[in-house]
Amino acid sequence: MSIDNEHKEGAEVLFMGNEAIARGALEAGVRVAAGYPGTPSSEIIETLSRSAKEGSLYVEWSTNEKVAMEVAAAASFAGLRSMCVMKQNGVNVASDFLLHLTGSGTRGGMILVTCDDPGALSSVNEGESRHFARLMEIPLLEPADFQEAKEMTRWAFTLSEEIRNIVMVRSVTRMSHASGNVVLGPLPPAGGTAEFLCDGPISDPEQGPIISAPVAEKHRLQQDKVRKAVSLFEKSLFNTYTGPKKPELLVITSSACRLYTREAVSMLAAEDRVGILKLGTTWPIPPALVKRYLTATEKILIVEEVLPFLEDQVKILAAEQVRETGIKTFFGKNDGTLPTTGELNPDLVAEAIGRILGIEPKTIPAAYGEKLRMLAGLIPRREQTFCPGCPHRASYWAIREALQRDGRGGFVCGDIGCYAMACLFPAAGFYTCKTLHAMGSGIGLASGFGKLGSFGLEQPVIAVCGDSTFYHAAIPALINAIHQDANVIFIALDNSGTAMTGFQSHPGIDINAMGNASPMVDIAALCKAMGAPVVVEDPFALKETRETLNSLMEGGGGLKVLILKQSCALSPEKKGKKRYLMQVDELLCKGDACGCNRLCTRIFRCPGLLWDRNKGKAQIDEVICAGCGVCAGICPAEAIRCEEAPVS
Amino acid sequence: MKSPLLTKDPYNIIITGVGGQGNVMASRVLANMLVRRGCKVTIGETFGMSQRGGSVMSHLRVSATTVWSPQIPKRGADLIVAIEPVEALRVLADYGNPAVKVLVNMRPIYPVGVITGESDYPEPEKIRRAVTALSAAACFLDATEEAINLGNPILGNIIMIGAVEGLGVLPVNREVFETVIREGMPASRIEANLRAFDIGAAAVAGNC
Amino acid sequence: MELGKVMQQVKERDAAPAEKGEGLGGQKELEEMVLKAGLCTGCGACVNICPYQASYRDKTVTLHSCDLTRGRCYDFCPRTPADLGALQRKLYDESDITPELGAMRGFFITRATDTAIRRQSQHGGTVTALITLALREGLIDAAVLAGEGEGLLPQAVTVSDPETAGRLGKSRFVVSPTVAEFNRAIRTECRQIGVVATPCQALALAKMRTQSVTATEGGIEKLQLVIGLFCGWALSWRDLSTVLKEKMDLASITGMDIPPSRYHTLEVYTRGETIRISLDEINLCVRESCHSCGDMTAEFSDLSVGSARLPEGWETARQWNQVIVRTERGLDLLELARRRGILEFKEVPGGNLEKLKAASLNKKRVAATRPSVGNGSGDSYRQAG
Ligand SMILES: Cc1cc2nc3c(=O)[nH]c(=O)nc-3n(C[C@H](O)[C@H](O)[C@H](O)COP(=O)(O)OP(=O)(O)OC[C@H]3O[C@@H](n4cnc5c(N)ncnc54)[C@H](O)[C@@H]3O)c2cc1C
Ligand code: SF4
Ligand code: SF4
Repeated sequence: MSIDNEHKEGAEVLFMGNEAIARGALEAGVRVAAGYPGTPSSEIIETLSRSAKEGSLYVEWSTNEKVAMEVAAAASFAGLRSMCVMKQNGVNVASDFLLHLTGSGTRGGMILVTCDDPGALSSVNEGESRHFARLMEIPLLEPADFQEAKEMTRWAFTLSEEIRNIVMVRSVTRMSHASGNVVLGPLPPAGGTAEFLCDGPISDPEQGPIISAPVAEKHRLQQDKVRKAVSLFEKSLFNTYTGPKKPELLVITSSACRLYTREAVSMLAAEDRVGILKLGTTWPIPPALVKRYLTATEKILIVEEVLPFLEDQVKILAAEQVRETGIKTFFGKNDGTLPTTGELNPDLVAEAIGRILGIEPKTIPAAYGEKLRMLAGLIPRREQTFCPGCPHRASYWAIREALQRDGRGGFVCGDIGCYAMACLFPAAGFYTCKTLHAMGSGIGLASGFGKLGSFGLEQPVIAVCGDSTFYHAAIPALINAIHQDANVIFIALDNSGTAMTGFQSHPGIDINAMGNASPMVDIAALCKAMGAPVVVEDPFALKETRETLNSLMEGGGGLKVLILKQSCALSPEKKGKKRYLMQVDELLCKGDACGCNRLCTRIFRCPGLLWDRNKGKAQIDEVICAGCGVCAGICPAEAIRCEEAPVS
Repeated sequence: MKSPLLTKDPYNIIITGVGGQGNVMASRVLANMLVRRGCKVTIGETFGMSQRGGSVMSHLRVSATTVWSPQIPKRGADLIVAIEPVEALRVLADYGNPAVKVLVNMRPIYPVGVITGESDYPEPEKIRRAVTALSAAACFLDATEEAINLGNPILGNIIMIGAVEGLGVLPVNREVFETVIREGMPASRIEANLRAFDIGAAAVAGNC
Repeated sequence: MELGKVMQQVKERDAAPAEKGEGLGGQKELEEMVLKAGLCTGCGACVNICPYQASYRDKTVTLHSCDLTRGRCYDFCPRTPADLGALQRKLYDESDITPELGAMRGFFITRATDTAIRRQSQHGGTVTALITLALREGLIDAAVLAGEGEGLLPQAVTVSDPETAGRLGKSRFVVSPTVAEFNRAIRTECRQIGVVATPCQALALAKMRTQSVTATEGGIEKLQLVIGLFCGWALSWRDLSTVLKEKMDLASITGMDIPPSRYHTLEVYTRGETIRISLDEINLCVRESCHSCGDMTAEFSDLSVGSARLPEGWETARQWNQVIVRTERGLDLLELARRRGILEFKEVPGGNLEKLKAASLNKKRVAATRPSVGNGSGDSYRQAG
């Protein structure tokens, strides 16, 4: 659904948080938006790309977050409004540029939208980007509902232009991926011309070159900008208070936690005892405003995700103002009232408030609790795994067999993408993946492992990397491994798309975020140009892939590249289409007898296969099976048959 | 727009299933229907990994006045729509309460552990008994089978939306369903969706 | 050490695991007792019966884990504990059984009459002559042999054509997954199979033969002939390659042999010259598992063949073989070869048998000092002790 054409000003629509942010940017007249896909942030760029048009909005999926920020900054330098979008760990990637950008300042309004993932619902970290605002000394805004997500994004551009610096807007999974009603505002007319004025003196922020030096001067200027932002924050309508004039307990909160808090107060029916100060401007917090509310109460609870960020600021403020506000009691993360890991929810907040105020939470009738016991042992765990027909299952199968055959204890350094599931759920990758860190770290670590031969490390070292991750951060590490002559097999799991986050385009695909044809950068050609030997295999050809891997492991030192090319089972060209109709010949199936012991269902574990306990035979679940035919190649009894499916 | 009629405010719905069953779409369609009827709806959901065979849950908060937490408090569901049977149990274990209503599509999707023989999948009878015991009203549908008859198993989710309408607890109807799907779907698929909706509505009307 | 003492040691070493329950185990036990314990011979008895074990180069590896508590891999493996004395009594005439050399019906010195065969063979070409004869006469319709593979690796193959079999002579000192190939062959069309086997491989085949039909999924009755090879040890492919790579171009190697012990060398024949490598260096390449093997003469065969020892010296002796005949079938084959003029016979010099017994006993003695679960022929000596 496009969010600009169909929905007119004044309409009330259901928007996902990310769509609201995108709409806010459109209403602000953003001209350039760049990002790198990462849950929970991806829908912002996706949504914007549907509204993109020559000359009015340029949208791109950049190779990584740092590049995205640089692309957006260029637009700002040329006087246009721009934004860059990423998930929390993307800010780490972009931070080197960000450090210098905050020093040099911006021109056209520029915002950084980051979507954090408290509880790591779809991440391998719950790192927080809020701290970057303090570290880099730039204003931070956090929306607490969907309407606000739109309004705040819009205002962030204005603020950026006021202070001539980048402004950070931080969302969280429960905001970005939640949906709610949003009333739309007007869209500005298209247009705007880009020109980079840079012939003026270095001290001229409007006409001079844009650099972060002279440092002392630029840094001072940057801090003036922050002070200006604070003065605006004092009056900001994004900071709201609800509750009694003199609450027994003041809750200071922001973002999705404000919704949890309101729910918690309502669960405890404590509306007349608890006041909620919701801050939308969370770095720096507006001191006069916060002081006013501190004065009105004795007990303060800070509710936030994940680490004590607001809490630290509030406590510092309280210490500075103690003469005027008096001594307070603080509750939050530091005293253990709320957990310092994972996400919060209404129940956790209600429990915390209940404990402070001595309110017993409502419980369910004992009889119901009794009945709940009948569920014990009834609910099987639902482990995540590769989709039916997923090329990664086949790739890891070949890798496993090759490593086991080689017998020297070889291992795989994992990376970020669907294939990381092999690290998170070892059985899904047949126990091959042994490390998992940042984007591109698989090959970086492998490069290091590959140099430990002289210390006696004889284990073959493999790094896996998806196609999108390859462009993002693997290349420098790959060059390093080649140059250092590290003993590594680098496997590019090329499934033709950023599958994990929903098939965003990347440099290996000949179409860009705006749907236009664009030159593609070929992984194999790139690796060859860097001097690495390259082999390409189809992972569905299990035996060939395995043999190739074994010969690569045997073939002496240096970095070798194996590209396993097979598109994702969910890719548009494959989804819903079966290549083969699969069937298990029950007469041939050996089941759990010695000689098979359910290799397909017990070890291979494609969800398209079923184990019929009564018959003691394997079966194909036709609804689930994707018809890839791979399982036919592993059955020792040749009982799994494939037949070309009729083309529909 | 006049304030909608709700039996409870907020009215809390959990739509649950397994990644790939069209759970997210179902919650979006239902929520859009409610927004058209003047409700404030908050949906909470997580994507990402959930696409890959995991349990998926969408929380819908329906209110006449305001936005609510995207996470429903424990024991706080008013209606559970389960597109997969054990997912109904999983949700009941946390969000069940004596007043909850439950709609269950009885077509199982076996977790990997069941496929591999590491864990057991409960008998349908056991699931029915547990759901019935733990709810004020329960209705069991063979939505996937009906959907296969319609030509596409994925329509199971729309049958379940029809069933929600059939329950009569929310201010929605076929007309608003049609408006919503016409907006987001190619015309060629409208007919099958409408039929799916009707099948669901008919299956529940007067049964639950 | 005298015989009685050796037997006692063997008994003590094997007693504990044997009591744990003979023949009861699956892949887990196989892994623990054999593969991880470094006792695997690489014979491949556990391979090609299920998808879990595979032969790769000269090793047997576990691809995935199997949780059955009872499996054929464990049953067939020559290194899992078994009452080998009982096995011997089951398969051989009790009166033929000797403590040092297993069952013995006769002891001969022979060689192939055909010089072409001899040229392509390790020693006297007796093995190749007998295999081609058996194929030609229809005693067997397929032979599982170890041909030459890539880069020092043997390649186990099944052949039915005597000409081809005739070209697969010579010893390869890296183990061949011969039994794995046999496991594959019994599922094919062929009906009577002959196998040339090292002692461990012959033992695996013997263990298979004594399993019930259901356990073997049928097919073992196809095993019609086992020609055993004398065997001191086999070498690890990786270690041997490393040693030889430094000294020569691996592609130029045409063969290898170990002359009698006083030479203390491994001879490597290359296209240009013969390179002699001290056994001190080669001993480091010996497979770990071979040190625990107490069978030098392939006691579980129909007849066993090794190099000869002759008063004329090594240059003559290397053209001949010593043969121990163990079964009726073995004897019939040898007599047929004599009648057809396929083999030449030479009178056995006095003292040869005693020397062989001493050598065999020496292998048992060394093995007895090694920790092991199921020793190659442990039990056959027990009865003598
Ligand atoms: C690893 C090994 C160690 C040996 N150690 C000794 C020893 O210590 N003392 C001794 O007297 N003799 C030993 N031999 C036997 C010896 O080398 C000759 O094979 C034997 O004398 C028969 O000679 P031949 O000319 O009749 O053989 P050929 O006619 O050349 O026939 C040899 C046969 O052995 C098969 N073969 C070759 N390599 C292998 C292998 N690795 N595994 C299984 N089958 C194989 C071939 O397929 C061929 O059929 C050993 C053999 C091997 C393979
Ligand atoms: S063909 Fe086999 S491996 Fe492929 S999806 Fe179907 S069951 Fe899974
Ligand atoms: S000795 Fe033979 S049967 Fe035993 S584990 Fe090794 S290859 Fe398998």
